[in-house]
Amino acid sequence: MTRPTQETTAPASPRAPTEAVRVLAVGGEAGPGPLQSLRQWAAELKVELEWAADLPRATRLLAGGQWDLVLAVLGDRSDEELTWWVDALRGAPGGPRLIALADRPSMGLALRAEKLGVLDVLALPLKREALATALARVRSAVTEVAVPLPPVEVDADGHYALVGQSPAMLDVYKLMARVAHSTATVLVQGESGTGKEVVARTIHQHGPAATGAFVAVNCAAIPENLLESELFGHEKGAFTGAVARKIGRFEQAAGGTLFLDEIADMSLALQAKILRAVQEREIERVGGGEPIPVTVRLIAATNRDLQTAIAQGRFREDLYYRLAVVTIQLPRLIDRGDDLLLLIAHFARQFAQRYGKRIEALSDRALELLRHHQWVGNVRELRNVIERAAIVATDATLRTEHLPDELRAEEPGVPERTAGGLPTLAEAEARHIARVLAHTGGQIGAAADVLGIHRNTLTRKMKEYGL
Amino acid sequence: MRVEQALRLLPNLEALMPLRGLLLSSARPDERVQWGSGGPYLTIGKRDVEPGELTRRVGPVLAVVTEHIGALYRAYVEALEAQERGEPTSAVTALLGAGRREEHVGRLEQASAWYEVALALAEGLQDRRPEVETLLACGRVCLAHGWYAEGGRHYQRALVLAEAGFDQAGAIDACIGLGGVAFERAEWAGAQAWYSRALRLVEAGGDGLRLGRIEHQLGLLARRQGDLARAGEHLRRARECLEPLSAGHEMARVLDAQGELDAALGRPGPAAEAFREALAWVRRDEHDPGLDITIRLHLAELLLDTGRWLEAEEEMRRGEQLAITSNQTRGLVRIYTLLGTLRGRQGDETGFVFFEQAIALCRALEGPPIDEARVYDAYGLFRQSCGGPDEARAYLERAREIFRSLGVDAEVERVEAELQALSA
Repeated sequence: MTRPTQETTAPASPRAPTEAVRVLAVGGEAGPGPLQSLRQWAAELKVELEWAADLPRATRLLAGGQWDLVLAVLGDRSDEELTWWVDALRGAPGGPRLIALADRPSMGLALRAEKLGVLDVLALPLKREALATALARVRSAVTEVAVPLPPVEVDADGHYALVGQSPAMLDVYKLMARVAHSTATVLVQGESGTGKEVVARTIHQHGPAATGAFVAVNCAAIPENLLESELFGHEKGAFTGAVARKIGRFEQAAGGTLFLDEIADMSLALQAKILRAVQEREIERVGGGEPIPVTVRLIAATNRDLQTAIAQGRFREDLYYRLAVVTIQLPRLIDRGDDLLLLIAHFARQFAQRYGKRIEALSDRALELLRHHQWVGNVRELRNVIERAAIVATDATLRTEHLPDELRAEEPGVPERTAGGLPTLAEAEARHIARVLAHTGGQIGAAADVLGIHRNTLTRKMKEYGL
Repeated sequence: MRVEQALRLLPNLEALMPLRGLLLSSARPDERVQWGSGGPYLTIGKRDVEPGELTRRVGPVLAVVTEHIGALYRAYVEALEAQERGEPTSAVTALLGAGRREEHVGRLEQASAWYEVALALAEGLQDRRPEVETLLACGRVCLAHGWYAEGGRHYQRALVLAEAGFDQAGAIDACIGLGGVAFERAEWAGAQAWYSRALRLVEAGGDGLRLGRIEHQLGLLARRQGDLARAGEHLRRARECLEPLSAGHEMARVLDAQGELDAALGRPGPAAEAFREALAWVRRDEHDPGLDITIRLHLAELLLDTGRWLEAEEEMRRGEQLAITSNQTRGLVRIYTLLGTLRGRQGDETGFVFFEQAIALCRALEGPPIDEARVYDAYGLFRQSCGGPDEARAYLERAREIFRSLGVDAEVERVEAELQALSA
């Protein structure tokens, strides 16, 4: 496996930084009034300006040409409109950035815009200096340099390939090699998106049951009331909706491997039934009276801390010890160093092939952004990002404009929203609260716990900051 | 707590329907689940709900419910007072107003109940216009609910009365309604005849909005009949009528139809542009989340058919978010059905969870039976593609049974053909 080369090639962008920035200004229903001065500044700021009086006209213009920037005046329902614009610009030719303009932008709107990857939120009437700063940021994006993607060797095809050579992954490979040849039950642990199913499939493929089926069950995805019949099967008429006899996943996996993903999401009652199946090596279909013998290799996975779940009484200790005969802990993507570039190269080629494209390089700025991202969703998140980039790429280089807005918003060195200075204490606090709320999926109780304040205090602050 | 667990603690009582809606609309995805292996299968049942969040939002919801019920009570009292004053026409107007309120919030059966009371009163009046108006409202609700035969009867009666009373607008609306009934039942010749009749009537009156609507319907009809060139011509004329009127929602519907037409013509680029412009028109008037979701679903179908699965899924997920926050449960049912279909195309058997969720929603919210039939139909095809012939047959038979009970013969025939293909 080769390392990525750092030699530079021709600039990745087909545009030169001195070219005029193509701007589409959308006046909203109020007409061009709020943006009148734009026309006067256009030549001086090297802007090619086009005007759309309303959203339908703007949509037509967006579809008909390449734009660098959209200046949109938001009305009374600014939050909703902002979301609409972000949606509308996703996939628009040229990946234009958005500057939202509002009469009195609230801090809530600014924070929301930041989260959505909007380039900036500016107050009306528009000030020349504020616009010039934003345009400088748009122009800086055209100086990207292509970095060729390294070759990647994988021992499996496509979706389930294990890619990486970081020390953390080499430890995983060694452990996998040791357990693959046995029939021992394996527990794979790791954060969401670290590749637990890929590991399980690889163990199966290299194990004694490789000729048998690999059957995966996602315990978190299946409604609780259906999980038992999904695992053990059911007889016709066993319950409403049991329209025909169903062979469960245990039986389907007979002679092969059953992979139980997100096992911590299972109810205690079902955990007891799994334990019985593992111990007795037999199952009973729902509505059926006869025990059915099954021989399967079991691999389980979870992103939760099972020891904590046991302590909280949410997971059976006896089942844990049955499952964790061998435990494999997968590293987070941010702990895998240069594996990131190898994974990017692997996914870029995979999706280039799927979408009939040729992708050979990644721009230096795009790589910088990808390196700085936190990757909460680990490899799965990276895969999504590269797939999206491959879809919208128009030449052989993936650039920042092909990355999601949320990622582009993390561009290092982006000036603070407050012109020329540091944020105020209130702004910093509001921003931090917004981040924690995003982290907890908007759950106020959980956010208050993280912040270490009472939920009433948090609710008050949210109201105060317009969050 | 997961929504599926929270729903199990809520009795299925009509008085608690707004609380059920609140529970669903305040559900949020757990970020860990979003990126976990369960993320691609996330449905509303697997979202989280926080009791504290519900407590915070109960007040505003109760205020809306109180306002709604208050308006219904007032409408009833107004009707009583009008009757007492000897003004039955005003009483009919009040009852119709109550029905419209119910219709506006998607309570079709309740709206129908108000309209029936209004109709009984209107039938006794010498002036037939209130009766025509009520019959048109009854027809509209029946059409939305999938009760086509009954809807057809209401529209037929409205037409007879409107023509007898020289009520031009009433006659046009009745013809459009009858065309709609025939269209839904795939009776293309009948639909053509009714829309053409409406067109002749409206051309005489020069009503641009109605003319645009009829051209739109004729465009949809021509597309169903396979005459795509004629469909394009009708849709072009519809746009010419509606754009100068700045009729946002009507324009959005026409552009949505244009997108579907372009997709049928194998022109995904213009189709996507038409859908995106349609979404822009939706924003021009008061936002209609139902229409927004419909357009997004068509855009997602286009992306699905062109193999752009990631974008298709993203569009569906945006629609899902909108459907949840705006309480558009019928939209949610369609979204989950399409997500299940997407997983079927990907050969992913776990996609069955979307169909199960869609069926659970249909039952929990007592939606129109036609929605459930469509879910079973798609579920059957999914099971067929994932190698479950017994279950596929059972689901298709269930779909056929519901379509048959609704008198949608074309759908019955289509499902029968699917069943025969399964046997072969």
